[in-house]
Amino acid sequence: MNKRAGIGFYLFLIIFVFLVMFPFIWVFLTSIKPPGEIFSSFRWFTKNPSLDSYEAALTNRPLLRYMLNSFAVSSLTTILSLAFASFTAYAVTRLPIKGKGLILGLVLAASMFPQIAIISPMFNLVTGLGLRNSYMGLVIPYITISLPLAIWILATFFKKIPFELEESAKLDGASPFQTFRKIIFPLAAPGVFTTGILVFIAAWNEYLFALTINSDDMWRTVPVGISMYQSQYSVPWGDISAATVIVTIPIVILVLFFQKRIVSGLTSGSVKE
Amino acid sequence: MKNKKKRGFQLSEKQLGYAMVIPSLILVIVVVLWPVAQSFYNSLFDYRLNDPARSQLMLSATIDLERYVDNHFYIEGQLDSLAGSADSEENAETVKEIQQDIESYHSELISDEEINTKVEKIDELLMNFTPVRDSELKYSKLDNDFAKDYREALESHSAELTAIAEASGDEQTSQAFQQTSDLLASTAGNILKSNFIGLENYGKYMKDQRMWKAMGNTAFFTVVSVAFELVLGLAVALLINRAFKGRGIIRASVLIPWAIPTAVAAMMWGFLYDGQSGIVAHYLEVLNVIPGASWLLSTSDGGMFSIILADVWKTTPYMALLLLAGLQTIPGSLYEASSVDGANKVQQFWRITLPLLKSSILVALLFRTLDAFRVFDLIYVLTGGGPANATESISVYAYKTLFAQQNFGEGSVLSVIVFLSVAVISFIYVKLIGSDLFAGRAK
Repeated sequence: MNKRAGIGFYLFLIIFVFLVMFPFIWVFLTSIKPPGEIFSSFRWFTKNPSLDSYEAALTNRPLLRYMLNSFAVSSLTTILSLAFASFTAYAVTRLPIKGKGLILGLVLAASMFPQIAIISPMFNLVTGLGLRNSYMGLVIPYITISLPLAIWILATFFKKIPFELEESAKLDGASPFQTFRKIIFPLAAPGVFTTGILVFIAAWNEYLFALTINSDDMWRTVPVGISMYQSQYSVPWGDISAATVIVTIPIVILVLFFQKRIVSGLTSGSVKE
Repeated sequence: MKNKKKRGFQLSEKQLGYAMVIPSLILVIVVVLWPVAQSFYNSLFDYRLNDPARSQLMLSATIDLERYVDNHFYIEGQLDSLAGSADSEENAETVKEIQQDIESYHSELISDEEINTKVEKIDELLMNFTPVRDSELKYSKLDNDFAKDYREALESHSAELTAIAEASGDEQTSQAFQQTSDLLASTAGNILKSNFIGLENYGKYMKDQRMWKAMGNTAFFTVVSVAFELVLGLAVALLINRAFKGRGIIRASVLIPWAIPTAVAAMMWGFLYDGQSGIVAHYLEVLNVIPGASWLLSTSDGGMFSIILADVWKTTPYMALLLLAGLQTIPGSLYEASSVDGANKVQQFWRITLPLLKSSILVALLFRTLDAFRVFDLIYVLTGGGPANATESISVYAYKTLFAQQNFGEGSVLSVIVFLSVAVISFIYVKLIGSDLFAGRAK
């Protein structure tokens, strides 16, 4: 690109980043105000910063427990769906099987299915298995979201690995499964990791299943838990701001560390290379 | 030798391929295809979790044996004592007739070997005050005609007893008759009609104002928010498609709104829009963009505006990212060549950028349109569908019917409608995009 970045361009960037980040900035500034000030003024900066809201957010509701639940459910979902998906993606992209187009079509269709059309039989199934208010009770429905997503993204990564590697492994006498385990899978590891991050975020953010299946407060996940901070009589904006800041920090860290990978994973499905 | 034995267990590439695909396929079938099929099946029934007479899918008449056995146990005793305490010969006769009639229906019922075994088992459980949890044991299918006769007989006997109770002058006798009458009526309620109603629920929703309104809201929300996201996302992508310092900051700030849970974003915007302490509401009021600070969340137009703005904020960055990746695959030499030929920026955009970006745009639009059409968390948390259902999307309506009203039959109709709409939308896009969707995956 021959376009050079000028002052105007950077000014635009600053405005853009400010607009995108504004809700976070404001929520953070609110979270350190003394609770009384939140309702009385629109001043940006408080003169008496306090951590009262944080204390309230952590004690009025089991926020740390929500985070633990979310972490456990998302991790389990990620591990399970990566295991199944890497097998499938490998077979579909690199092994001579029939019906590849059909399998990928099915996977893509499954990823487009609305969750609302799945929720009621899934609710009955999980209730029947006695898994309501447990981690597995969410992991099973989360497979509906994460498995198609993982297969779809992993397929692009597996496709990129040169095919000569398999041929030389075959010549050296490796069995097909050895080729997968010892040669292709390690090479695809960065792609698997990227897929893992995306699946983890998708599971972390899920709301509908978590809302219906884990209705006990001790088993709620972060998105549902946060939405329960509003009570019928008052909305404790201080608590909500502080809780939002607390649950956003892990995501900010994740994004800062892995931004390049996330972008490559997100765009892998959408552009031809 | 050892090596040879090992070879015997080796899978060929093809076998390995199928072995690797099958577990995922089974999972997809169990957790995605089966539930959707089940939802469709449920939608053909008048199926309500909170109504014991309709909490099962019953293709034919069914009897709730747990309650029936329990009620029947008392019927005999109560009728016996009524026959004894009746204040006239005529009434005692009626009671005896009722007793005989019920006994003949009951013996016909338990003449079925299977039902008889079940009744004995349930009897035993009830003696120990153990609730019957196994629905196989609890419910039994009945012949439709027999069920109808038995239910009607119980109902008419119940009416006879009520008539006696009302005519009786003695308070104690009257009460005893009324009690037994109620018992017979409740036993009649244990013999359940089939709740298969076919497409009746669909007919009902075709005429349902609220359904069409929810559909309209969803379509409006989808079209407007996706259109804004596309235009803004494309503008941002075009502007940052160049070398500059600080790409990392841009990328991170763009990813964070995408990465946080929608429910958390909705709570944040709920705060910013709040009529009393919301900063966005306050500034928009001061700038005279909106009539008053409370306009955002307490009026229909304001509610729609609020959810669209929040959605545009959350997903425009994602759109920009996808389009930027598409832009970067367009070779710069095309622009250089066209500049030499005298094309200006506008011509370059329409003749080079847009045509080459077409497939990226369509793929991004496909995923965004489907996401927007299924919108649930944002609306449910931010406005709850209100005010006065003005922002209710079809998914929110389906959720409320399913879980707030516990009406799984009607709720399933709504979720099947969402499913069919999504299928039509994806079909149209896939036709437009064609084989490009599979580019880079299958051979």
